[in-house]
Amino acid sequence: MATADARQRGALPNPDVATYEAVNRDVLKVLSRPGKGWWVLFAMAAAGVAVFLGSWFYQIYQGIGVSGLNAPVGWGVYITTFVFWVGIAHSGTLISAILFLFRAPWRQAIYRASEAMTVFAVMTAGLFPLIHVGRVWHAYWLIPYPNSRFLWPNFRSPLVWDVFAITTYFTVSAVFFYLGTIPDLAAARDQARGLRKKFYQVISLGWRGTDREWHHFSKAYIYLAALATPLVLSVHSVVSWDFAMAIVPGWHTTIFAPYFVAGAIFSGVALVITLAVPMRKYFGLEDYLTVKHFEAMAKLCLLTSSIVLYAYMTEYFLAWYSGEPPERGSFWNRVFGHYWWANWIMLTCNGLVPLMLWFKRVRRSIAALFVISIFINIGMWFERYVIIVTSLSHEYEPWAWGLYRPSYVEMGILLGSFAWFGFWFLLFTRLLPPVAIAEMKEVVPPPMSSRKEAAT
Amino acid sequence: MSDGLRRRDFLKVLGAGSAGATVAGCSTGEIERLIPYVVPPEEITPGVATWYASTCGECSSGCGIRVRTREGRAVMIEGNPDHPVSGGGLCSRGVSALQGLYNPDRLASPLRAGTSGFEAISWDEAIGMLTERLGAGGRPLFLTGRKGPTEGALLDGFLAALNGERVVHDPLDDAPLRAAVNIAFGVNTLPRYDIAAARLLVSFGADFLETWLSPVKFAADFARMHGVDDGVKGKFVFVGPRLSLTGQNADEWIPARSGAEAEIALALAGELVRRGSDAGPYTDMVSGYTLEQAARVAGVEVDALNALADQFAEGAALALGPGLAGHHEGATAANLAVLILNVAASSLGQTLHIDAAAESGAPGDASLAGAIANMGAGAYGVAVVSGTNPAYTLPPASGFQDAFSRVPFKVAFATTLDETAALADLVLPDTHPLESWGDAMPGPGTYAVRQPAMRPLPMFDSRPMADVLLDVGRRLGHDAGAATFQEYLRAAFDGWLGEDGEATGLTGDPNALWRAALRTGSVSYIDQTPQVTGLQAPETAVRFDAPGIDGDGELTLLVYPSPRFGDGSHANRPWLLELPDPVSKVMWHSWVEMNPATLERLGLREGDVVSVATAEGAVEVPVWPYPGIREDAVAVAMGGGHTNYGQFADGNGVNPMTLLGTATDAGSEALALVSTRATVTPTGAWRWLTSPEGSSDQDDRNVTPAVALSALGHAPAEADHAAEGGHGQLRELQEGGGFRTVETEGRAEDFPLPGSDFGYYGEDHPRWAMAMDLDKCTGCGACVTACQAENNIPWVGEVQATMGREMHWLRIERYYETVDASHSGPVDIRFLPMLCQHCNNAPCEPVCPVFAAYHTPDGLNAQAYNRCVGTRYCANNCPYKVRVFNWYRYTQQIPEPMNWQFNPDVTVRDNGVMEKCTFCVQRIREVGNRAAVEGREVRDGEVYTACQSVCPSDVITFGNIKDHDSRVAALAENERTYRVLDALINTQPAVHYLQKVTLHDVEEAGH
Repeated sequence: MATADARQRGALPNPDVATYEAVNRDVLKVLSRPGKGWWVLFAMAAAGVAVFLGSWFYQIYQGIGVSGLNAPVGWGVYITTFVFWVGIAHSGTLISAILFLFRAPWRQAIYRASEAMTVFAVMTAGLFPLIHVGRVWHAYWLIPYPNSRFLWPNFRSPLVWDVFAITTYFTVSAVFFYLGTIPDLAAARDQARGLRKKFYQVISLGWRGTDREWHHFSKAYIYLAALATPLVLSVHSVVSWDFAMAIVPGWHTTIFAPYFVAGAIFSGVALVITLAVPMRKYFGLEDYLTVKHFEAMAKLCLLTSSIVLYAYMTEYFLAWYSGEPPERGSFWNRVFGHYWWANWIMLTCNGLVPLMLWFKRVRRSIAALFVISIFINIGMWFERYVIIVTSLSHEYEPWAWGLYRPSYVEMGILLGSFAWFGFWFLLFTRLLPPVAIAEMKEVVPPPMSSRKEAAT
Repeated sequence: MSDGLRRRDFLKVLGAGSAGATVAGCSTGEIERLIPYVVPPEEITPGVATWYASTCGECSSGCGIRVRTREGRAVMIEGNPDHPVSGGGLCSRGVSALQGLYNPDRLASPLRAGTSGFEAISWDEAIGMLTERLGAGGRPLFLTGRKGPTEGALLDGFLAALNGERVVHDPLDDAPLRAAVNIAFGVNTLPRYDIAAARLLVSFGADFLETWLSPVKFAADFARMHGVDDGVKGKFVFVGPRLSLTGQNADEWIPARSGAEAEIALALAGELVRRGSDAGPYTDMVSGYTLEQAARVAGVEVDALNALADQFAEGAALALGPGLAGHHEGATAANLAVLILNVAASSLGQTLHIDAAAESGAPGDASLAGAIANMGAGAYGVAVVSGTNPAYTLPPASGFQDAFSRVPFKVAFATTLDETAALADLVLPDTHPLESWGDAMPGPGTYAVRQPAMRPLPMFDSRPMADVLLDVGRRLGHDAGAATFQEYLRAAFDGWLGEDGEATGLTGDPNALWRAALRTGSVSYIDQTPQVTGLQAPETAVRFDAPGIDGDGELTLLVYPSPRFGDGSHANRPWLLELPDPVSKVMWHSWVEMNPATLERLGLREGDVVSVATAEGAVEVPVWPYPGIREDAVAVAMGGGHTNYGQFADGNGVNPMTLLGTATDAGSEALALVSTRATVTPTGAWRWLTSPEGSSDQDDRNVTPAVALSALGHAPAEADHAAEGGHGQLRELQEGGGFRTVETEGRAEDFPLPGSDFGYYGEDHPRWAMAMDLDKCTGCGACVTACQAENNIPWVGEVQATMGREMHWLRIERYYETVDASHSGPVDIRFLPMLCQHCNNAPCEPVCPVFAAYHTPDGLNAQAYNRCVGTRYCANNCPYKVRVFNWYRYTQQIPEPMNWQFNPDVTVRDNGVMEKCTFCVQRIREVGNRAAVEGREVRDGEVYTACQSVCPSDVITFGNIKDHDSRVAALAENERTYRVLDALINTQPAVHYLQKVTLHDVEEAGH
């Protein structure tokens, strides 16, 4: 009945949960005992991580030649996947920080999972530049550090900006993520026993839930949210400048920063949907992640999809409008050249399929959203593939045009990166409360005895 | 920086101390191994190169070379500019001699055929066996390639003493031409062509820029004839079924059927006779030929032949051909017809010279077919093979292998165990030409010496064949009066000089002359041979009928010598295997060329593996579509499909000789390379061609524009503008080198403002720049191989090259503008040698996160290998795509002793780093250091790059563009000069290209 009452507040996408006790019980239940399914998934992820690391070490031992890269296509699946994961990493901060600042009422239920996704996606993305370089053992030269040779990195290079952008983003989002979990870790501590209790005792930093602590906590949280917000825009802008600062036809365009940020949010939200649907089902969190939440995310997808589609059209138009043969040739090649299929996958998945989200029925269908989100994930990976590979394969000098085909090692590392991400995410679902307990309680009707009595 | 021991010096000392003493130069005695240079051998300073002038031994042209040696090892071969014939140029095959020298497949010791394969024996045993067999009384047969005059004389003397017979087999020899000259002029010689003196050059299929007679010399002459340096440009017309590399350089193509050469040449001669020319005893005969008939036979338009006749009538013409690719059953007749045309066009004595008393080549080459028959009949006791590989170069139908195996005792002098040596009973490791003495007569008035550039490699226990024969001769009681061939050669030189220089006009101390010959590589003398002045009547009537072509179908099979491998003898060299074929650009494997229209008719596409079959056999080979071949022909290059030649050659491609029968040219017994038709059937398989070609269409980018000859010289004179009241245009050297027009407001003499004319290259630094005259570039690719040799550039192998990972710092791009095999007309194929442009605004530099790509104060775009992390961002951002990446440890996969060739002045790059053209920075620094030590400026032309050092056509000029008196600065101001993509992306390259000049009007794309 209280549930019914909460539902009647319908205008806000509040969870269908009645009491604080229920929140604690439902969320912390997730941490208690892994089911068989979890173990199966975890074993698969661990195997995938083994493939990932094995492929990488094989590549380090043999040389980057085990990839399919060549001249002229010097960047391929690795950088594609790097940008893909950086993009994924965006939604977490967007959902938790920006929506926090804007007081969006639907964020509480999903922000913990999407923040975790952010941190793990950055952890995955950050590996790819290392995987990609020819001499990974010298990759630390990109970090500015004082040295006896007085050698500094080249601050004009977008790759150095990348180093700053990615490390900053990782640091801030990891701190933000951790800070937000502290009250929940304390809740977990209070219920746990044995070794687990020790673990939570340490990482909850002795949280007691006093007013003073809450006061400091919320101050710190809002400051960090304010700090993280510009990063959402800056990180992917910087990543886009890896391309936009180069003179490669198809890369060298001013639209890239907003286009990439929109694309990043687009893909990030899509992956949140992809992950939230099974998680909700498996852990029985239907009352917390409601259709309303999914509909809100679907609307965000629709918005960013429109921006991305608009960017595609702008690119085509400007390529034609520029009148420059290399620019025109590059885009003609995207649509009708050797990699036409990748381009059409991108257009279909990112531009056409999300148009279905204009229908409310689709937006409110969990199954439909799950399928569409997978299309978007695929489409966004191919978007980066199209930008990187087709542009490089068809540059200025016609004689030097060439084709690229990913190797098995690259595919192993690509798939392995999903396993690596999944590995951490599965651990997260077992070790940290996947829904923010404390913040959920903010939107659950407070336990007021008078109301309860009145109802009875 | 300048104090103390510098890093480079330290490494030099270290290198010399630890590794230097394994071999030392040829002028020293035995050097113990692994003893440092405490007492260095004479003439060798560790870290300083020693150069030896010598003569190239890779084909019979006899080009002059300079071999650069470091610490006793040959590391680089360049053209010898002092050489009167080849004049400083060289070809890819010549440069690749280094990989013949250091080839890991060379024989390590004499081998004797045992019951279970070959077994190694000592030289004493081997020479004992050879002496015993030769002394046993059986008649010896020597089957040799073309040898130098003195070695040939030694062989002939040796065989005379043993009543032996010598047969010369050189598939690249133009025997039909020799026979035709004999018929036409009554002398046994090859003609001398003065291409540079011609205004109209017509090749009836002769590939004179690739394989025919003396390609390097011809390329140099062609550049003089065809370049526009003097404001005049000769015209080159190619007549033949397939545009070879030579044909691609033509201004006009008359795509005549193979075999129609005689008909066309005689009809042209007939037309000239009708216009009043004289063709000697053939005048009446040629009058019977008409252009209409010729056009019908050749399958071309009569208008084109009429126009050609008009041009012949203008004089200063020269007709060549039909060359090696035109060897068919009527090859001698076709050559004779072309000689008659030359006489009718009054070329004899102008552009064509015939030495009257010449006795060139092997006198009266004994018949190879006869020798094979005799071998089969058991006429010889011993057969010795040297410098030729008939088991590979002859069609199986010739019966050579069977006949050879019937000879009781077979000996092979060889550097590697080739197909023929594998059949021998005794195999003797010969020295490589770079380790041997020899000589050549490359042209009139030139005697060229070959001297060893280094001691024979220690791991290959080889001896020069001539030394072995002298030894054997002595044991058999025929002492030639010399202990070694070196002595023999020296004595022969004295004998050739004669008394008082009667024959040569050379007087003076023979020792001094010999030393001068060794220093410069050749001796020039006065050639007093009289010239033939006219045709003589043929002893027997020559039939000029079109040659017979066997087989069914409509596709004539054209087999032609490969510009890279010749007859296949250079096929075991990775540099050449990975050098894109100048025509097809295919590397490593074989291909069959077919016209796109033919492909469409047969439903084939590029890369389809087809079976090319004749009555004699079939080969499976992928298709390469080529608009420069007639629709009724298919072409396969020689040189592939080795079965027993070495680890690099074996199994690569196919050998088209297996498709040929025994048909020979009627006049000379030369094997007919065009003798059969072939059927082409798909096998269903497909493969990527191993080719660097992305697109042969410029796609409106205009990376290699051209200008019509008629449009030259019409650029507005800028000085006039500047003179008018001080307002006007000035030419200013811009930062990246080269000049740009600046608008001035003040007085002209105020500009350029102080310090502004050099950009940010400081006053005390040069700005290195290059100019490339695309009008002269023939696309031969010699520069590519020279670059590879100089800069320790590894090869990557077929699989890697197919993936697009070849490491060349310099490539020749080839763009089709006008190529049409369906009718006669202009040809416009453009070559663009592409290397690092050393841009002033280099896009690669700002994107490198660690400053591995940076700009030097003297304008070089440098790459610090040790600093490179391998992000490959620079390569992405390079619009010219000239940066190459070490995907694997390519340099470490180079087998011993090929790595002995590494240039010690150039870093050997390891896995995971980017590399590219450095403008041969090691040469710049070497010259700069020398100039600094001598307290002077670097002179213009003193620094020359490796690519420049071999270019026969003088395409490449290198120098300091800030020096207004330098050649490169002058060329940068030429009206034809442009810079690739500079107008679009403002890279300001240091490489200035001079546009190709066409005789037809040019329609530029994108304008």
